[in-house]
Amino acid sequence: MTREIRIALTGNPNVGKTTLFNALTGSRQHVGNWPGVTVEKKTGKVSRNGCEFEVVDLPGTYSLTAYSADEVIARDFILDEKPDVVVQVVDATNLERNLYLTTQLAELRTPLVIALNMADMAEAQGNPIDYRKLSGFLEIPIVRTVGTRGEGLQDLLDAAVKEAKTSPHHEHTIGYGNEAEEMIAKLTDPLSADRTLSGKYPLRWLAVKLLEGDENVLAKVRGGAASARVQSILSSINSDEYEATMADKRYEAIAAILPQVHRTNTRGTTFSDMVDRVVTNRYLGIPIFLALMWGAFELTFTVATPFMTVIDTLTVWLAEFAVASIEPAWLGSLIGDGIISGVGAVLIFLPNILILFLILALLEDSGYLARAAFIMDRPLYALGLPGKAFIPMLIGFGCNVPAIMATRSIESEKDRLISILVNPFMSCSARLPVYVLFAGAFFGAHAGGVMFFLYVLGIAVAIASAKLFRSTILPGEVSPFVMEMPPYRLPTAMTSLMHMWSRGSMYLRKAGTIILLGAMLVWALASFPYGVEYGSAESFAGMLGHLVEPLVAPLGFDWKVAVALIFGFLAKEVVVGSLGVLYGAGEESLTDALFADPSLSAATALALMVFVLLYMPCVAALGVIKKETGSWKWTGFAVAYGIVVAWVLAFVVGHLAPFFIGGA
Amino acid sequence: MSNGIKILFGAVLGVLYAACGLLQVVQAIFGTMESLEALFIPGNIFSGSVLLVIGTVFLTGVRKLSIGTEEGMPFIYVGILFSVGIGLVELLALCALGADAYLVGEWADWSAADAVNPLLYLAVIGVLGLLAWGKEFFRGARAA
Ligand SMILES: Nc1nc2c(ncn2[C@@H]2O[C@H](COP(=O)(O)OP(=O)(O)OP(=O)(O)O)[C@@H](O)[C@H]2O)c(=O)[nH]1
Ligand SMILES: [Mg+2]
Repeated sequence: MTREIRIALTGNPNVGKTTLFNALTGSRQHVGNWPGVTVEKKTGKVSRNGCEFEVVDLPGTYSLTAYSADEVIARDFILDEKPDVVVQVVDATNLERNLYLTTQLAELRTPLVIALNMADMAEAQGNPIDYRKLSGFLEIPIVRTVGTRGEGLQDLLDAAVKEAKTSPHHEHTIGYGNEAEEMIAKLTDPLSADRTLSGKYPLRWLAVKLLEGDENVLAKVRGGAASARVQSILSSINSDEYEATMADKRYEAIAAILPQVHRTNTRGTTFSDMVDRVVTNRYLGIPIFLALMWGAFELTFTVATPFMTVIDTLTVWLAEFAVASIEPAWLGSLIGDGIISGVGAVLIFLPNILILFLILALLEDSGYLARAAFIMDRPLYALGLPGKAFIPMLIGFGCNVPAIMATRSIESEKDRLISILVNPFMSCSARLPVYVLFAGAFFGAHAGGVMFFLYVLGIAVAIASAKLFRSTILPGEVSPFVMEMPPYRLPTAMTSLMHMWSRGSMYLRKAGTIILLGAMLVWALASFPYGVEYGSAESFAGMLGHLVEPLVAPLGFDWKVAVALIFGFLAKEVVVGSLGVLYGAGEESLTDALFADPSLSAATALALMVFVLLYMPCVAALGVIKKETGSWKWTGFAVAYGIVVAWVLAFVVGHLAPFFIGGA
Repeated sequence: MSNGIKILFGAVLGVLYAACGLLQVVQAIFGTMESLEALFIPGNIFSGSVLLVIGTVFLTGVRKLSIGTEEGMPFIYVGILFSVGIGLVELLALCALGADAYLVGEWADWSAADAVNPLLYLAVIGVLGLLAWGKEFFRGARAA
């Protein structure tokens, strides 16, 4: 008797769909205060009052004519999977834009419920919505919700159940004016002949979409029974014109309703407006962004030091203890030299990583991220990238994997491909241990500055590469900047800490799996063949290292570094883990051991950091590059290009550095 | 009418930030001037540039206000926020360095004076600004 009801959450970007989804299903999907956070559909379950619900969270979309990859996912789900109820989440502070999507959803004749979200904000702005009246006008049930506080959830589910059981659904039509209506009638006629299509979609909706020149719908019609007649009708009209007039009609219909359900917008200068006037200032925007970035790295590097010292001391002590007291000796060595030194060398950086993720969470939740994209639009545009592409770049500071996924909201295929290819140059958190280790060992008080340089270098290489690709292999026009600026929100400690933890714990999990594996592998290579001195040139690791050494010798790297770089392909932290293993457990920490190694100087350390920054995406990043580009060719290109760029720049930096750092 | 005070406040803080920033950058490039170290202005291109940015935000606000446009007000407010925010970062950094020195047993050699810099002490003035005008700035957030 309890049938499962499938609810799809749809709506414009950044209206709180995922927040509602999390509140409904108890999930912890990623929420952020910028448009384009969700790029995949996510499913969760709830049961309330004996009813089972499957809730699907979708990426945001402005209309049912999809442009970007994430919008396509949202549109296809609603059209083809036919959820029992579509819940449109509407931002109560931005009704006009949101209701535009409503007019399109209503034409689809699917059971529709509106969640009037962010009602708290609208009320606080002195602009509450008379949602009962609005519901009457639209003939769609409306529930007031506040996603962040979980208000209105029960009512929403009740409304969904009721709507799912009501049938038939009458179509709420907007009149598009004589000319367009005539064309719609003309088109519905042949369309009704196509049984498969007319069984699946409302005819009027199909006709309207065709008139707008919707490629996707046209593709559905092509090859069907109606194909020839429809195409001949369409060939005689200019669909851009119809698209514009129909959009006007929709907005007219909305404009007729709005004044009756809320006060006309009399917004003064808000806090957001004031801040924006400064941070998006033409001249000051970028310097302010850089200054904030400097603050972020100061926090990441300096504030973490005492915590690192504690972990460091503990690891060194544990490793020594293991080597000295565990029998047989080889097991002691595996545990002490291998596991504890290797994993410990990486774990030390947990404090840095957590702080970095906290900063990124604040960046996302505050709303500044969208501004950063806006201020970078001007310079990026000149270099061949849309400003929107800056968002995945910044997310890349955390991890390139979600960053590459985030490119889905970029409309143009070429823009998107370029963004994917350059993203690995953004210095992800896995590279941070390498910097902290080497900058700390060789640059002392200037470590912060060196790290800052590396991050900026990553951005510079990414942008320069974009320019290069744009002017050679991927020529084309950059799409203009279209992005809504969300209002600034004070991130709550709770959500930001949760973000930090959910990502930080991934780092821990990585330390326990892939990094542990890498450390054990390197330990085995360093210990065998049987009888060689641990980590000597005669061990397998030594042989492997010496094999590759000639390739990296011009950069000043010796065989130990070469081995570490090879295994760094698994995950960049493994570079540090491997060095931890190869330098073994002594009384001294890895930092001191590296500093004491005569084959390493400040200049080679800098070259090494540059190399690790650029040399190639890790396995996981390569996996998403393949998935998102769908091409092995581009994936291979990303690897080859990265290695070449890294080698050249590391060479240059390694040879120029002595002039700047006093011939160290 | 309280604009006069804000202009004065922004001008003083702006000039201080910009001057310290300039000195830090110069110091970093041309080497040590003993007298500057005594004033806790270490040579550092990065923090020097940050000082310059904050100074410019204030001075932009002052310029706009003094030619009579209200447009300048946000710059003073944001400058104050910026000053306090970065000051907080520096304070945390200072505490962390102290804690670390203690942990590694170099507490005796450590002196807070080594880590003090203009970003830290100029922020004290910023805090005064925040106390004075913070409310009217943030109120904009609600009374939209
Ligand atoms: N004040 C207030 N803020 C909300 C409410 N619901 C969501 N938010 C905030 O709005 C922002 C966007 O929320 P998300 O849930 O990520 O929005 P989304 O619709 O999933 O966004 P995309 O996935 O980008 O399409 C976040 O900063 C939330 O904290 C609400 O009811 N009231
Ligand atoms: Mg979402």
